[in-house]
Amino acid sequence: MNLNTTYLGIPVKSPIIVGSCGLTSTAESIIELANNGAGAIVLKSIFEEEIILDFEKNVLPKVGPMDNDLEFFDYYDYQIKDEVLHKYQSLIADVKKSVDIPVIASINCISNGEWVSYAKKLEEAGADGLELNIFKLPFDIKKSSEEIEHSYIAIIERIIEKISIPLAVKISPYFTNLGEFVKRLSLSGVAGIVLFNRYYSIDFDINNEEVISGGVFSGDKDYEMPLRWISIMNQKSNCELIASTGVHTSDNVIKMLLAGAGSVQVVSALYKEGSSYLKKMNSGIKEWMSSKGYETIDSFKGNMSQTTADKPEIYERVQFMRYFSDHKH
Amino acid sequence: MNKIVKKEFFSENVVRLVIEAPRIAKARKAGHFVIIKCGETGERIPLTIAAADKDKGTIDLVIQRVGVTSRKITELEEGDYITDLVGPLGQATHVEKVGTVLACGGGVGVAPLLPIVEAMKMAGNRVVTILAARSKDLIILEDQMRQFSDELIIMTDDGSYGQKGLVTDGMESVIKNEKVDLSVVIGPAVMMKYASMVTKKYDIPTMASLNTIMVDGTGMCGACRVTVGGKVKFVCVDGPEFDAHQVDFDEMLLRLSGYKDIEKEAENKYISNKCKSR
Amino acid sequence: MSVNPDYLKEEREQEWRVVLRSQKKNKERTDLVRVHMTEVDPKIRVQSNIEVNQGLSEDDAVNEAQRCLDCPNPTCITGCPVEINIPKFIKNIERREFLEAAKVLKQTSTLPAVCGRVCPQEKQCEAQCFYTLKLKKEPVAIGYLERFAADYEQKSGKMAVPEVAPAKGIKIAIIGSGPAGLTFAGEMCKRGYDVWVFEALHEIGGVLKYGIPEFRLPNSIVDVEIDILKKMGVHFETNFVVGKTATIDDLKDEGFKGFFVGSGAGLPRFMNIPGENYIGILSSNEYLTRINLMDAANPNTDTPIISGKNVAVIGGGNTAMDSVRTAKRLGAERAMIIYRRSIEEMPARVEEIKHAQEEGIEFINLANPLEYYADEKGRVKQMKVQRMELGEPDSSGRRRPVPVEGSEYLIDVDTVVVSVGVSPNPLIPSSLPDLKMTRWQTIEVDDDKLQSSIPYIFAGGDIVRGGATVILAMGDGRKAAASMDNYIQNISK
Repeated sequence: MNLNTTYLGIPVKSPIIVGSCGLTSTAESIIELANNGAGAIVLKSIFEEEIILDFEKNVLPKVGPMDNDLEFFDYYDYQIKDEVLHKYQSLIADVKKSVDIPVIASINCISNGEWVSYAKKLEEAGADGLELNIFKLPFDIKKSSEEIEHSYIAIIERIIEKISIPLAVKISPYFTNLGEFVKRLSLSGVAGIVLFNRYYSIDFDINNEEVISGGVFSGDKDYEMPLRWISIMNQKSNCELIASTGVHTSDNVIKMLLAGAGSVQVVSALYKEGSSYLKKMNSGIKEWMSSKGYETIDSFKGNMSQTTADKPEIYERVQFMRYFSDHKH
Repeated sequence: MNKIVKKEFFSENVVRLVIEAPRIAKARKAGHFVIIKCGETGERIPLTIAAADKDKGTIDLVIQRVGVTSRKITELEEGDYITDLVGPLGQATHVEKVGTVLACGGGVGVAPLLPIVEAMKMAGNRVVTILAARSKDLIILEDQMRQFSDELIIMTDDGSYGQKGLVTDGMESVIKNEKVDLSVVIGPAVMMKYASMVTKKYDIPTMASLNTIMVDGTGMCGACRVTVGGKVKFVCVDGPEFDAHQVDFDEMLLRLSGYKDIEKEAENKYISNKCKSR
Repeated sequence: MSVNPDYLKEEREQEWRVVLRSQKKNKERTDLVRVHMTEVDPKIRVQSNIEVNQGLSEDDAVNEAQRCLDCPNPTCITGCPVEINIPKFIKNIERREFLEAAKVLKQTSTLPAVCGRVCPQEKQCEAQCFYTLKLKKEPVAIGYLERFAADYEQKSGKMAVPEVAPAKGIKIAIIGSGPAGLTFAGEMCKRGYDVWVFEALHEIGGVLKYGIPEFRLPNSIVDVEIDILKKMGVHFETNFVVGKTATIDDLKDEGFKGFFVGSGAGLPRFMNIPGENYIGILSSNEYLTRINLMDAANPNTDTPIISGKNVAVIGGGNTAMDSVRTAKRLGAERAMIIYRRSIEEMPARVEEIKHAQEEGIEFINLANPLEYYADEKGRVKQMKVQRMELGEPDSSGRRRPVPVEGSEYLIDVDTVVVSVGVSPNPLIPSSLPDLKMTRWQTIEVDDDKLQSSIPYIFAGGDIVRGGATVILAMGDGRKAAASMDNYIQNISK
């Protein structure tokens, strides 16, 4: 029995991929993750937004009185990008030297400017794949949903033109017709779609009447959303689907695989339980597989997706009627 | 102003000049270069230092006639002065004992290779040197090289001297015979490109000394930029030596051709003006 | 360091100034219209390197000087990094004591003829002029008057050589001969130090020679100022790279007691976008150095230059304006500025932008290059440009450029000059591992003393500021000289 599967078409020994996070930002912790059985890792993202903020908060205030230093700082954001990129390239090179699992670079971008060309540089640095996290905030009330969707496809097409390593795109669920959009994305040439990313959430402190940060980690029930959509989109999309958000236990992983995911991304659980939790998750999957008599992941992957289900309509229910009639406590 | 104390022809088009430059002679290390400008209207060009004599306060430059500027320099005589000479510039060669060093020089690239071979030998390495040129008369500094090399191989394209073949042929035969720990290749960009392809095949760390176009030589102009390992580097301040396996030689070759047409035209004009004035 | 108000008051109460003030009512003065600088016709000037601004006539200068109200509280001085006694020199022009006016300038400014040409006065002294602040009228043309007085002195052939204190016999080394270094040299020489200036290039003047073009600042103007320094006793060593030819430690061994680093901004920055290394794409430093320092456009020099018919200059600073206007003069049919913000946000001096527009420079604003394309010989032939729009203002109050999706288009180009800023020159810092640097790779100095983490090393100009103006560099040179003088006096006690 083995846990072999593929991630973005690359063979991996476990379906558990460590998602982009602080744990994947240094060579040491990545080695630890690899030793504990991660199938692959997605490096902590380079954030376009972070660079813009750094530029605006730390650099521009340095512009002297009477704008004297403006010429020096006018394009300094390029310098910052260059430094960040260089550090990232060395991280890729370091990690690639130390581990034999696939190393996926990750970019969080908000525009389709020169960021696209950076993809090529990450490939040259040795990344096995690239994950693209497009932060087109769905809150932009000046843009129609069509424009936003179009910009996703445009960015992806420009990147695919530049690189030969597989590309994954990580999206949010906030699309008007998510199923149709996922299908369209899957035809754009990406090797995988990661469902879904979590946006930073806000909360209110009602005593001080202040906006505060919402929960940083995913909740135990958050997996239900990707579960449904992977089930629905399995076999309807032309690329791998990868589950992300709320995958905290080996049971969750199994559910995702049954829904048709090729692999899952885990982050919050590793923050809470440590890297060794990967071992536990892997062995949890194996135990279940042996109890069911499965030898490989392929033998049960997608068994519970909508297309293979007896009652496909259940996946599309949006009201709770049936819940009340069928659900047994 | 720096005085030329000695001039020697290696061949019809290759000249060695010994120039008074006490500070440079004292400060220079293997791998360093100078920027030289000849006449008030002259151009600034980089030349790697071939040797230096601290006590006499002189440095040696080897110049091949390829354009107006190098012609003007090679036409200077003993006792003449170089208008402007600045250096030593660039990063010195990283020299340490690694075992066996395979040093390959092509054409006038042999001149900058000489101090490196000397330094490598002094550091306790076994040094195997290959000198390559189109024909016998273009092989330079053979005796000096022999002095610091445990083994010296000469390759000529036409077989007029040493073995017939390219530098890469010589390299292959050395590498097949013994374990090489480091290779140094200096010469025309094309030669360095193919030579480093050979060592890459055998996974031998290799450094190349790049000879790009420069104006100021202190990092200011960016004319000398090359792509090394996907990152833009300036040969004048980051180099001139780089990991040859990381250098984008194709881009460098392209950039070197940037002024070729203008230079050829200028050289022809210079030659014809000279003939007229005679 | 600030000007002593009592001193200013005392000066203002001198009889000749009192009399001058009483000769005209303030109303008569403020009714006068600001003088217009004579400029060479754009069509003519783009055919050569002739200086664009032709200077003021004596009468024009005197008339303009009459506009100055000789305020009791001259706010203009606070806008001047070298604190020139502005009313005093202007009033000297009004009473036609032009050489006297130049002398006032020279008291605090080593290079008045340069400043009169390249300072962004509209952001400095003229921005603080009573006319601007209170009357909401055009300020007194302080910059034009400065230039007038300095030029008058140069042309008179009666250049005053500043007085030099008795020799102290203490050797001081200056690294770099740009505006910061030259100012520092002058100030230290006046104080009696034995001053040596080390310059990496073959010419003295730094950015004033290799950077600023002839049509904005003729080299001869700079040379006159350098000659004065030579006459004062400053030693100049060209072709000397401190950190390479000799290190600071070597020079210390040779007896130098103090060092001033004014090595300027060295490395040109690029945008690191695809195709940026194709032939025909060069930094503004390379472009301007070839033309200004090496005189490459002159067929009698050996340095080649390729300047095409369609020239795009990336950036919006003074260097970008200098480059694009140079391209026009070298025969470009289309000389374009490509800048990612709008014209209001450009760092260039207003006058340079105006001159560029008059000369037919095309301004392609709100556009940013994404990629370059080359022909089969590797020579750039096209660039892909993305349109930008201005988003929310950033912390500097300037609106951030945001790319417009799907707005990319191609522009035919055969020369591209990248002018997006420079990084400080690494030669000195790399030879001094103990020297503290900032995040921008500039030398970290005490704000008031301009002293670095190595006590005998002071620094100023772009190596400290990144990329500032000539006048700020000069201000630094002046300030650093005062504090190094203090430092040396203290250690030798």
